[in-house]
Amino acid sequence: GKRMAAPAPDPQFTLRGAGSAVCALHFCSGAQGRPLLLSGSLRGLVHIWNLETRRPLAALDGHGGQCVTWLHTLPRGPQLLSQGRDLQLCVWDLAEGRSAVVDAMRLESVGFCRASILAEGPQRWMLAVPGRGNDEVQILELPSKTLVSCLKPEAGARLGMPMCLQLWQAESSPRPLLLAGYEDGSLALWDVSMRKLCSRAACHSEPVMGLALDPRRARGVSGSAEKALAVWSLEGQQALQVRGTHELTNPGIADLKIRPDSKILATAGWDHRVRVFQWRTMRPLAVLAFHSATVHCVAFDATGLLAAGSGDQRISVWSLYPPT
Amino acid sequence: MAVFDTPEEAFSVLRPVCVQLTKTQTVENVERLQAQLQAVSDSALQELQQYILFPLRFTLKTPGPKRERLIQSVVECITFVLSSTCVKEQELLQELFSELSACLYSPSSQKPAAVSEELKLAVIRGLGTLMHSAYGDILLTFYEPSILPRLGFAVSLLLGLAEQEKSKEIKMAALTCLQVLLFQCDCQDHPHSLDALQQKQLGDLFASFLPGLSTTLTRVITGDFKQGHSIVVSSLKVFYKTVSFIMADDQLGRVSEVRAKPAVERRVAELMVHREASWVKSTGDKLTILIKKITECISVHPHWKVRLELIDFVEALLLKCSRSLIESAGPLLKALVSLVNDESPDVQAQCDKALRCFADEKVVVGSRAFADVLSENLHSLATSLPRLMSSQDDQGRFSTLSLLLGYLKLLGPKVDFVLNSVAHLQRLSKALIQVLELDVADVKIVEERRWNSERLASPETPTERPWAQMQRRYFRFFTDERVFLLLRQVCQLLGFYGNLYLLVDHFMELYHESVVYRKQAAMILNELVVGAAGLGVENLHEKHTPADPEELREIVTSILEVYTSQENWYLVTCVETEDTGEELTVGWTGLQALASGAHSCPPTSSPAFSKPSPTVCSMNSNIWQICIQLEGIGHFAHALGKDFRLLLMSALYPVLEKAGDQTLLISQAAISTMTDICQACGYDSLQHLINENSDYLVNGISLNLRHLSLHPHTPKVLEVMLQNSDASLLPLVADVVQDVLTTLDQFYDKKAATFVSVLHALMAALVQWFPDTGHLGQLQEQSVREEGSPLSQRSASLEKGLENPTTAEDIEQFVLNYLKEKDVAAGNVSDLDNEDEEQSDPPEVEGNDTGPHVEPPLPVQIQIATDVMERCIHLMSDKSLKIRLKVLRTLGGKCGDFLRSRFCKDVLPKLAGSLVSQAPVSARAGPVYSHTLAFKLQLAVLQGLGPLCERLDLGEGDLNKVADACLIYLSAKQPVKLQEAARSVFLHLMKVDPDSTWFLLNELYCPEEFTPPHPSLHPVQLRGATRQQNPYSANVLRLLPELQ
Repeated sequence: GKRMAAPAPDPQFTLRGAGSAVCALHFCSGAQGRPLLLSGSLRGLVHIWNLETRRPLAALDGHGGQCVTWLHTLPRGPQLLSQGRDLQLCVWDLAEGRSAVVDAMRLESVGFCRASILAEGPQRWMLAVPGRGNDEVQILELPSKTLVSCLKPEAGARLGMPMCLQLWQAESSPRPLLLAGYEDGSLALWDVSMRKLCSRAACHSEPVMGLALDPRRARGVSGSAEKALAVWSLEGQQALQVRGTHELTNPGIADLKIRPDSKILATAGWDHRVRVFQWRTMRPLAVLAFHSATVHCVAFDATGLLAAGSGDQRISVWSLYPPT
Repeated sequence: MAVFDTPEEAFSVLRPVCVQLTKTQTVENVERLQAQLQAVSDSALQELQQYILFPLRFTLKTPGPKRERLIQSVVECITFVLSSTCVKEQELLQELFSELSACLYSPSSQKPAAVSEELKLAVIRGLGTLMHSAYGDILLTFYEPSILPRLGFAVSLLLGLAEQEKSKEIKMAALTCLQVLLFQCDCQDHPHSLDALQQKQLGDLFASFLPGLSTTLTRVITGDFKQGHSIVVSSLKVFYKTVSFIMADDQLGRVSEVRAKPAVERRVAELMVHREASWVKSTGDKLTILIKKITECISVHPHWKVRLELIDFVEALLLKCSRSLIESAGPLLKALVSLVNDESPDVQAQCDKALRCFADEKVVVGSRAFADVLSENLHSLATSLPRLMSSQDDQGRFSTLSLLLGYLKLLGPKVDFVLNSVAHLQRLSKALIQVLELDVADVKIVEERRWNSERLASPETPTERPWAQMQRRYFRFFTDERVFLLLRQVCQLLGFYGNLYLLVDHFMELYHESVVYRKQAAMILNELVVGAAGLGVENLHEKHTPADPEELREIVTSILEVYTSQENWYLVTCVETEDTGEELTVGWTGLQALASGAHSCPPTSSPAFSKPSPTVCSMNSNIWQICIQLEGIGHFAHALGKDFRLLLMSALYPVLEKAGDQTLLISQAAISTMTDICQACGYDSLQHLINENSDYLVNGISLNLRHLSLHPHTPKVLEVMLQNSDASLLPLVADVVQDVLTTLDQFYDKKAATFVSVLHALMAALVQWFPDTGHLGQLQEQSVREEGSPLSQRSASLEKGLENPTTAEDIEQFVLNYLKEKDVAAGNVSDLDNEDEEQSDPPEVEGNDTGPHVEPPLPVQIQIATDVMERCIHLMSDKSLKIRLKVLRTLGGKCGDFLRSRFCKDVLPKLAGSLVSQAPVSARAGPVYSHTLAFKLQLAVLQGLGPLCERLDLGEGDLNKVADACLIYLSAKQPVKLQEAARSVFLHLMKVDPDSTWFLLNELYCPEEFTPPHPSLHPVQLRGATRQQNPYSANVLRLLPELQ
């Protein structure tokens, strides 16, 4: 007889045509609130996908064929920030169907570390990018591009290169904080304005590949090249404390995202799979097996839609456990 | 003839004649007078009117019996005078009226006198002429209460004539005269505009005649159809004109409740009617009975002019007496709407005009009373509809449904109120579902297969109302196509005016409830959507607009989801398992057996199989369901227009899947759906549609490949997509091919055959898209084309040599060629022969960004081909022979060298080995052997090897392997079929290498001795030259002539 197991979940749809591995994803809304998905590819293109027609609206070529590692949109304009391995951070004007680079800045580090942005007000943004020195993180102010501070661990700390960044400001506090994952597997909490390393925790034994923060509960999760996720908390916004680790079947997490409603965590795996957890309990909910190469990035939109970009050049879009 | 202009002249002429007539009353004298009158001018006649009339009237009044002929001529003469003059005195008018009427009155019997028809006609005409000759104000004063008895007498006289006379002429004249007497004449001489008071006075007077008038006319109207349509038309006219006058709401509104004391004598006062409320009520009730009788009878009257008049009848009564005759509104509206689909275009147009007028005037929508009446009618019709649909014949159904359609049209947006009643919606839907039941017993539907898998045909020229076209279908309860058309219109109107959410919910429920309702519910849903979009709907209510596109899209999306869901889209439609080449579950004979019992549709069960096999009926039913759903998708496309493009991401894949269905009806339906989509969404052709939406298809294909057991047709869709797309899709194809290959890797055992055809389609597409880029292909083609190569020269000369006696020069040439060839084989190719070789381009220098370790990637199409072939290599050793050969066919046709090496290394040894090892078995076997699998295997291999060897252009060693393995099958001990197949192998080998084949065959059996062409050469002794017959002789003898 047939096995009557529940069939493996399928993506709602797949976006094809990125032309090379998909390394960055970002949801945003376009004209008339039309849902859009932005993707950055290994060959340097940023694709804008219309999620209604499931077709590309445009392909932006601004990184000289070099991998686009990070994408983010700013409410003004709308403007798009794209970070590439050509050491450029481009600012695009996408308003009314335009697609022009209106500003660009030179980055200092050629690594894979993705930038992070904090929108403090409607006109002022704080950007964290890996800095000139091997272990440095630079904090810049946009749109002026002025260097605000440079976060460098004490000599002898041997954290290695920053691998992933997360700027964050608690509602109760006026002081922006930076969470940074380092090459040596440790996670550090920086007070940006004091340029002070507040706390540090050795979460992984391998480089930290990605981290996600749930600001409501002051908890976060990080993944690395090893076979485990680390869950940690920020005690009093001062001290990083490892809460536990979660073993995985296969090593290597490239990216993690917590859904905006803080209920679901998704991880992008080197094992070609996206794993979905109940964020509160870290109970595994689903293993999404669809891609045929490393999953490089995951993203959630405001409605709970999940997108995953992979080395197989596809973006899969999933509708799972819709938020109630 | 002299004309007498002045009264004096005229008088002098007329006086003697008048005197003469007064003295002696004879026909002759009357005629003499009339002759003289001809010569008198109108003005003179007017002056002398009374003088001339005197002897005539005197004649009428003279007591005693008179000859009818005389009276007739007198009346005709009076009529002549009146037609040329005016009556200016009321007294004269009254007296003439009485005197004329009395001509037909028999004092003894109180009934119309038994007089000649001519006389009757003359009197009727005389009365009519009299009323027309009266001055306007005189005429009005004529209608004072005191005239009532005399007028009543005339009216009843005329009614009697209209009803009882045999002569059509008299009847018509009587009816016309009635119309004149009752002030309803529509000629121009009559005063038309009466003020409200005058109207009321006339109405008060005429009200007395209403009972007699209405009952008599009803009898005439509902009488024999054969009495002639004009009489019915005139009677209808008199009826509605007088009734709508007497019962006019306007007049009745002015009637005071308290009766004024009449200023007339008692005798007359008793005849007068006071039209107070109670009278209106009781008269209305009585009239309703008559009106109902009339409408029922007349709406089916065979003559269209009568039905046309009925529309005016309804219109006049409904518009003027909407309050007084409210009880009649039901039958009146029913009569009107039943003519909405009249067979006469004039009636239809007039009816439509009337309906529009009612809708526009807000008679229905604006007036509660009317809407209530209509709703009531619709209610009761809905209640009886199921019964009517099953008991009536097609004509009856047609009328009933026309009526339903009319109510819906007239109610317009108010339909919603009726449908909000669950009970009524249920009755209505029950009737629709019942009558739409399909006849699914036709066995042809299951049997008809689609065979060609060619490219899809492009849509025909767009038609005007594409949503109105559909496949011919057969219903259980009716055959008349018009009934179906009406049913569709009814559903469309429901969709247009009704609450679409409510209706779709309701019919969706029925769809889910039972398979018995499913097809009908789907048909209804399809039409609801068409109607909701306003397609094909004739809107009488201008303010009502079609559904909001956004809403409609939402609804369509939800229906589409249900239609294309796993359980409603993938139904059993044939007894074959999908084209894996496995045995049929039920043989064709079994199907025939099922067919014989198809009419009663018994649940057939075959003892040979544990699973109950589907009956022809259930398969037919499934086929129709799919077709109806496909048709629905086409309808939806038209309903949404370009908006449907967004739905293509979910709709196109399932439709395309069905376009490749083996059942003819389904694939036809799917292709016509795609045509609909093309038209609605603005694609030029099916290819265009597929090409533009390949990304959506690929999405479906890739997702469904993940669940192949649920979606076994997925590879087929890819095949169709490949056949209908172009090179621009290469990146997408490259993407999905990865999925295909991955899936193939998982399903080598079960689905390989299906996949191989996809791979075949893929390779065919690649070859077509990139005709000249293949490096290997180019070289291969060259070698085939090079006519001047030493190899082909050799065979040419050899053939020549075999035909003619060999000469020394021939031998010399042969040796020379042989040596040259040996040289070529050793690699000593001269420079001259080398010029065709490809120019070796320096490798392209890659940009700096690509590191030295990165290999330049193969062109995508080459990469795909390589991937495909790698899989095919594995399949070449598949258990199923059919697959092996299919693979080889796939590859053999498309790629040369690469395959040759693989074939020789991996496949050939296995095939050859199996042939050799199996040969002794078949050589010993009896007749039953040809039914075994082993036999079929041997046969297939032998049949396939020849073409392959030729196509792959195998080398000598490999050809020998093939020949060695097949030689044994040339033995006469082998089954005949295998011998035949083996011979075919050698026929192919001869084409590739005639020399060695010749040699080989002669080694087996050599029929002749070879004498050397020159004495200096040694005689040749071949091994087969034993002259002795052996098992191979027969076949060798048949093959050798082919080499000469």
